[in-house]
Parts: sequence; structure tokens; C-alpha cells
Amino acid sequence: MDWTESFRKAWVVTGLTFRYLLGTRRVIATALLAAVPIILTLSLAAARVERFNILLFQDLMIPLFLQVVLIFITLVNATALIREEIDDNTLPFLLTRPISKPALVAYKYVGYLIAVLVLVLPPVVVAYGVTEAYGGLGFMEDADVLWGFLAATILGTAAYGALFLFISVLVRRPLAVGLLIGFVWESVVDSIPGDVPKLSVIHYLKTILKDVVAIGPLGGYPSDLSAGAAAGILIAFSIAMVILSAFVFQQMEFRQKA
Amino acid sequence: MNGVVEAAAVSKWYGEVLGLNAFTASFGKGITGLVGPNGAGKSTLFKLLIGQLHSDQGKITLLGEDPWNNVSLKRRLGYCPEQNQLYGWLTGQQFVETLLRLDGMPPAKARQEATAALKVVGLSGAAQRPTRGYSRGMRQRAKLAQALAHHPEILILDEPLSGADPAGRVHILRTISDFARDGGHVLMSTHVLYEIERITNNIVLIHNGKAIAAGDIHAIRALIDEHPHAVRIETSKPRQLAQALARMEHVVSFEFPATDTLLVRTRKPDAFYRELPQIVSDTKLEVQGLESPDDSLDAVFRYLVG
Repeated sequence: MDWTESFRKAWVVTGLTFRYLLGTRRVIATALLAAVPIILTLSLAAARVERFNILLFQDLMIPLFLQVVLIFITLVNATALIREEIDDNTLPFLLTRPISKPALVAYKYVGYLIAVLVLVLPPVVVAYGVTEAYGGLGFMEDADVLWGFLAATILGTAAYGALFLFISVLVRRPLAVGLLIGFVWESVVDSIPGDVPKLSVIHYLKTILKDVVAIGPLGGYPSDLSAGAAAGILIAFSIAMVILSAFVFQQMEFRQKA
Repeated sequence: MNGVVEAAAVSKWYGEVLGLNAFTASFGKGITGLVGPNGAGKSTLFKLLIGQLHSDQGKITLLGEDPWNNVSLKRRLGYCPEQNQLYGWLTGQQFVETLLRLDGMPPAKARQEATAALKVVGLSGAAQRPTRGYSRGMRQRAKLAQALAHHPEILILDEPLSGADPAGRVHILRTISDFARDGGHVLMSTHVLYEIERITNNIVLIHNGKAIAAGDIHAIRALIDEHPHAVRIETSKPRQLAQALARMEHVVSFEFPATDTLLVRTRKPDAFYRELPQIVSDTKLEVQGLESPDDSLDAVFRYLVG
């Protein structure tokens, strides 16, 4: 295998995907949504809310950012990776080049990761910075919170993206299925007793926050895993989903729409 | 079996719908025209050849290889899809260059080859414009440029002239002819026989998923000449264009189905296509697009299949 050539192809597909996700009108809506933490913290600061501190930041970021913003942004972008190219009839241009279908899926996923992380990571850092500045604290005063949310955001982007990518190669209407999983299953799973919550991504994201953040609303979250183990499970899950997506995509036929 | 394309009793179903029905044919070197009305199975055959579909029955090979999930074969083929959708945010230059880099070409060489291919198809002037602003004819030429830029052995062109303006058609046909003259093979589909007649005598008629006739074009043409051929022209001044075209003796009738459309019926389509660019140029009337509805060809197919 010629690694230079493979790297060139990976670079091109990743770049094309990056521009596809961030260069079209979709980015306006997703960037606005990604900016919600900044808008929220700035609003709290402007309104001089007395309770506004790193605890309130966590109270708001978990249900709002992790369970709504992140899911929506990953859903919209990951389902666009393959399905939109099928619907737009642009996929034949890629499929008639000497690049294997599994490689195409993998490179597109990398492009997705970079594009979405560019969208979602800066708002987390800025919102955290606004919170610390409002409290008159140094930027690294509550570094555990920052690292916890950055880790949860990165791993959440990877895991949700891989899951929604898999759904998009499996069904024709991935948005509907993704919405059900992202906003129904991931929301209610915590209230189901026993080991059922372990069948959700949010369980592992909360486990990471519980383990990394010294003081926060997830202090009593019922999970016996360490942050490292939860991160490992999410990484393994993401890789498995991408491999499954590549396998399904390899077998897929493409009957272009007229 | 030593043709460029070999198909032996190939069938393809889309659920209940039959796309190809025990299709058997062997296409040789040079240019082969695949002619048939919409829905005849041309695009299905092409998708089997480029490995986007795999056959439910029978065997198909391209350049001696099975195309399904065959990555190395893709270096040897150039494909121009029927649909006109491009990556709209890329310029013509970026579009061709990006796809060339997927062939593993270093960036500098890809840039050079893309520039050369765009020049060949006559798009140098628009190379730095985003493709979202391209007309249908320009999109056809951009698709052709990306198909031939990596110097493939075979070009597979799905309706490459559909929607192209008269000048664009001439350019596309010339490009295809030059490619074949330099030793390349071309498989090109159309539902307008007269377009392909200008560059090859070798055609395959396809109808209802079957190859119903193959070989020299002249015998089939004689049949088709008995049926007036319809041409739909998009222009901002359809009535003025009709006046200009009325001097053609072979024109049978005019219709104006929309304010910017002229439908012409002619008994000598070859003469019509030959003379049209000159008339358009002399009268300085703008023609945005040119298309031939299936009607006239359908009549011939009904005749052929009884």
C-alpha cells in the first residue's frame, strides 16, 4: 500500500467533508446553536445573576449543551455525511475514483470530527471563561470542570457522530430515527433502573464528568466506572460504529435519483 | 469474451421493477452509442459498469474485470453521470482538481491536469467561478472534464449532451471524438440518435432493459427518418427563433409550450442539428438549452419491438 497516496486521498476527502459541513448554509444554524452556551453565560453575566458561578454553569451545560445542542449538531452533520451526497447525486464523483468505500467512510468521519469540534469546542471554552471572569476567578481556577466538559464534548461528538453515521447508511430517513434516539432514548434512559442506562452515550459522558469534576451536580450520579473506562467504552463504541457503517456502505448499491 | 464491455444475460431488479432484462451485448473499441428512451435501462447498465450496482443475474465485465467494488478498475475509467449536481461551492478548477487528487495525484500535477482538462472542454474562462453559477451546458462540460482529466482508458458518459447549448454540444462531441481518436474507448448514452450519429456508426439500441439492435447506425436511421423528430429549445425569444428556423424546409411544425420554450418538429434531424448553430449565430438569438423529448424515438422503438 502506498501510504503517501492514501494520506493524500484522506486529506482530500477530509477537506472536502470539512468544507461541505462548514461551507454550506447549514453552518449558520448549527453555529448559532453551538453558540448557545456563550449567549447563555453572557446573558447571566449581563443580568448580574447572583447565583451565576461554576456550579450553575454545570447545572445548565449538562441538560442544555450535552443533551440538546451536542446531540442536534452531531445528528445534523453526521447524517449529512453520506446520505446527503446520495440525495444530492454527488456521490458518484467520489465512488468512481480509486478509493475504497470503507476508506471513504473513515475519511468522511474524520472530516466530520474536525468540522464539528471546530463548531462546539470554542463555545465551551468561552462560556467557561465568561463564568470564571464573572466570579472574578482565574481562568484555570476550576480547570477540572473545563477538562471534564472538553472531554465529554470531544467523546460525545465522536460517539454520537459514529452512531448517527451508522443510522444514515442503514435507513433512508436518518434524521427521524436520530431524533428519536437522541432526544427520546438518551433523555429517558437515566430514569430506567438497572443496567439499562449503560446502553446510552449520555451515561458515559455523565460518568466522565462525575469522575473528573471535583464538585458538581453529578457528584451522586450512579455509575461505578472511572472516567478512563467510560472514555475507553465511548472510543471503542465510536470505532465499532464507523466499522459497521463502512461494512454496510461497502455492500450498498446506489440508484441515483432522476 | 474480449470486448471492452461484455454483458451476458445480465438482469437487475429494483424491487418489482426490472432495470435490465437478460441484457446481452459486447461493445468493442472506439465509440459506442447506447440509444434508448428514458427508463430503457441505459443508466442501470452504466451503474453496473462503474460498480454502483451489482447484477442480480448474469455476468458483466468492463475492460475484462468485474466492476463491483473494484477499486483499481476506477483508475482506468472516467464517468460522467447524468445528473447535473456538482459541489456548488467549489470552482470548476477546484472541482476537477479535487477529484484528480482522489486518484492519488500530487497537488501540482492535479492542478496542471485540471487546467488542461478544463481547456479541452472549453471551460477555461469559467474555471475560477463557483460551479453553482454554471449553466446546464457548463455543468456538462465540467463533468466531462473531471471524467477525462486523469487520462482513463474508457469514458462512460450518461447523456452528456442533455441540456447543453448548441456551441456546448459541438465542443462536447469534438472532445469525445478527440479522446477516441487518441485511442480511448467511449460508451455514451443518449435518447437522441442524431447526436451520436455525428461521432460513431456503432450503436446499441436498448429498450425495456434489453439490447434490441446493435451495429451500424444507417439501417436504424432510415426507420427513424420516417418519424418527425422533436427538439425543445430554451430561449428568451421563442417566436423570433421560430421565424428564423422556418426557412429550414425540413421543419414540420412549431409549438410554444412555455414563454421561454420552442418545440420544433423536423423530418431531417441531422440537418437541423447541423444548421442550428449557424442560424443562432446569424440571428444573435440566445439559446439557453436544447433537448429532445423521447416521443419520436419511442415511435421507432414501438416499431422495432412490434
